[in-house]
Amino acid sequence: MSVARRAFIQMSVGATVGILFTPTVWTALDDVSIWTQNWPWIPTLKYGETASVPTVSKMCESGCAVKVRTVAGTAFGTEGNVDNPLSGGGICPLCANGVQTMYSPNRIKAPMLAGKEISWDEARTVVAEKLAAAGSKVAVISGDQTGTINEVFSALLASKGSDAFYAMPCEMQAADKAWTGLMGGSGQVGYDLENADAVLLAGADALESWGPTVANLKAFAANKSGKFIFAGPVQTRTAAVTSKWVPVPTEGMAAFTLGICYYVMQAGKSVPAADFEQFKAMVMSGYTPAKVEAATGVKADVMADVAKTLLAANNPVVVPAGSVAGAAAAFALNLLLGGAMTVLPEFGKAVDGAMSRSDMLQKDILQGVDADVLFIYEANPMYALPEQIKAGFTVAFDSLNTETTAAADLVLPTPHSFERFEDLASPYGVAAASYSLGAPISKPTVNAMSAGDFVLGLADLGFETFEEVVDAKVAAIGADKDELVGGAAYVLEETPDMSGVTLAASVLGKAAVPVKGTGAVALAPYTLLNVGTANQATTPNAPCTISNNQLIGDSMVVMMASVTAKKLGVGVGSKVKLSGGSGDCEALVQIYEGVLPGVVAAPLGMGHTVGDEFSKGKGDNVYKILTVSSEAATGTSTWAGSTVNVAKI
Amino acid sequence: MEERRTSKRCGGVLPFIIGFLATCVLGWAVIPGLFFEEVEQPVRFSHAIHVDDQGMECDSCHYFREDGTYAGFPTNEGCADCHAVDPAEAMEAIAEAGIDPTDYDAIMKAEIGAIEDNLASESEENKQAEREYVVKYLIQGKEVPWLNYQYQPDNVFFSHQAHAGLDIAELAAMKNELSSVVDASVFEEPAEQNCNLCHLKDIDKTDTPPAFERNVLSGYSKMTMKMWKCERCHALKGQPNACYTCHK
Repeated sequence: MSVARRAFIQMSVGATVGILFTPTVWTALDDVSIWTQNWPWIPTLKYGETASVPTVSKMCESGCAVKVRTVAGTAFGTEGNVDNPLSGGGICPLCANGVQTMYSPNRIKAPMLAGKEISWDEARTVVAEKLAAAGSKVAVISGDQTGTINEVFSALLASKGSDAFYAMPCEMQAADKAWTGLMGGSGQVGYDLENADAVLLAGADALESWGPTVANLKAFAANKSGKFIFAGPVQTRTAAVTSKWVPVPTEGMAAFTLGICYYVMQAGKSVPAADFEQFKAMVMSGYTPAKVEAATGVKADVMADVAKTLLAANNPVVVPAGSVAGAAAAFALNLLLGGAMTVLPEFGKAVDGAMSRSDMLQKDILQGVDADVLFIYEANPMYALPEQIKAGFTVAFDSLNTETTAAADLVLPTPHSFERFEDLASPYGVAAASYSLGAPISKPTVNAMSAGDFVLGLADLGFETFEEVVDAKVAAIGADKDELVGGAAYVLEETPDMSGVTLAASVLGKAAVPVKGTGAVALAPYTLLNVGTANQATTPNAPCTISNNQLIGDSMVVMMASVTAKKLGVGVGSKVKLSGGSGDCEALVQIYEGVLPGVVAAPLGMGHTVGDEFSKGKGDNVYKILTVSSEAATGTSTWAGSTVNVAKI
Repeated sequence: MEERRTSKRCGGVLPFIIGFLATCVLGWAVIPGLFFEEVEQPVRFSHAIHVDDQGMECDSCHYFREDGTYAGFPTNEGCADCHAVDPAEAMEAIAEAGIDPTDYDAIMKAEIGAIEDNLASESEENKQAEREYVVKYLIQGKEVPWLNYQYQPDNVFFSHQAHAGLDIAELAAMKNELSSVVDASVFEEPAEQNCNLCHLKDIDKTDTPPAFERNVLSGYSKMTMKMWKCERCHALKGQPNACYTCHK
């Protein structure tokens, strides 16, 4: 070995030992260990002031008063607004995911004409040309039940000489058709669930999906002594916590309610209505307990027991759901009982020429929409009722891609509720008229424009921006905008004059007769907010809360009683095809004795063909198998009485 | 035999010692410096001007919010209280001048009145620093990406409020035990506020912020306190050292 080599080795050994006596190696190892934790794709937190900013969310049908949690001005979560009576600190499963939906990759990024991105100026030019050519053959379908945006759209229709304003089928529409249409009332019916001492939920799944669900839950929790009874074909989650579940078929709810009217009038109750005697005669002859039992299967003594509970109460109320006849029968019963049903006045209008809420609810979308130009505002009729929609040119306003935006000629992205001025006036079901308002919390993350701003650019409606419309609405109501934006609700305790109200005796006698389809079993569709609604698919965090009674894997689950399953030759886990209406659905069978025999309960809101990974391809679309039928005498359409044939596959 | 003698003469411990000493010197004096690169703050912010000249207090910018959280760096909203340039007005003037709003150099050279008339600084050097802040951040609506000398990763929950009561004078009693954790010189003339314990000593007196020394491997600041230092102080102060104390 040469000297140089030996010395080099010795020096290297010395250097190696020497380096170990310095912090270099150990520090480098420490730094490398930290480096391994710092990959660029690891998300980082945003730091800054956290805040809870009040606003309103329109993801559920009634809308929620919420607070959006922000950090350094960036929204990261949604919670209830304890200062607003609609919320009381609670929030529904859909609106709870408002922020996640706002950041969803399913957001519509820019105006799209026939699948091609265009500018807003081009979009306005196209729509203006189509509108000019359409004349009065213009229609609007709105998925918003409570917003002043409907005034803008209806005023646009009025400026074109059209009254074709359509609401998506909703409980508020059935109630309005019954109250203002059949019974001659004015205003909007409400229910004081918190102060009622006996509540008959006649089909209203009030603690799960009906009406202002969050406010209902708060009222239910606060009402310590009230007795709640649920009547319906399925022992829903609402029925699971009420004092009693009375199994009543959907199509028989009006007759069941009149059956209770029988006992109530027998006990001497009356109403100073012009047609009371006619109503009494109609019920006493046509809806005797025996006849109702024969028509609905509900035992006379069960009805008597429910009537006894209502009669014994000081402040009872009946809450209907479903058909117009069912609503009218419930309102008649409420008038007889004189309890906790309230009537809310409508707030003043902001836009001249706009329709009243009741006028907006008159058109029956189930009978079909046909227009040269159709505006669809945050509704999904192509999912829920595709066969009813016909239009020469469809303009869809929405923040998310849906079946409707996919089918529309022109798609215009709207800001998310948290990115725009949004208001919420008296959702159907609340006890008193209320108005809530939200201001934008963050800028749109996409190239969106308020639908109000866009429409106001199409016609001279007296406003330049939707914010001006909202200001006018607040002024018309007499509320304080700052207080509203601060999260408080404006509540009006007035009651409209009810002197001219009748009991719709001439119509109810025929309308309450149960009408059922010809399928093998009755279909009881039900809504769970975590599954979705007709307009809003399930949201990013909600699928993990959907139980095996609604969805297993990608398969929808329908529930039926064991006696029904036996009759159909199916069992737990059987794969079946349900045929009805204009289509069919595939589902797995679950046995649940909380379903009326002869009925199959199926969840609405699944089976989307457009959407995100959480909703697309999950389950099947039950709207396909609903049967639209004309409700005798009331002249309205209904899904009640839908039946299906069930085949094992 | 000749070869073996040579080996004895040139071998032994001398090369070993040379190698040992060489790497010791390099390892202590040279190599540690190679782990860090100096990065300037995005804006030349003078604490001296704001504190000494304008009489601002530390908590004018670095304050506790009502909910107890710590504001840390000031935001444009706070800076705009004094640097009263109207972003909309400035942007409008920039557009009128036909300048690309993202061409910062062109904007600064153009001496836009809506900006220049509202600069608070007096000397040209300070005015240029203020101008850069206004043009690059304030009117653009972008927050200044300040470099945090004490940067901690997201998985560390550090509460300034929980440490607000530490008193340097009291801690001086254990300065020997803390010598490896904090700069021992902070105990010589204890400041009224305890910021010097962890932050750059007397940064409130600097006219130009010192460069941020970024570790080229980990990306962290040279001043980022390692976990063992947190634990040492916690132990000395009788505070819990459970994982969840800092990792929520």
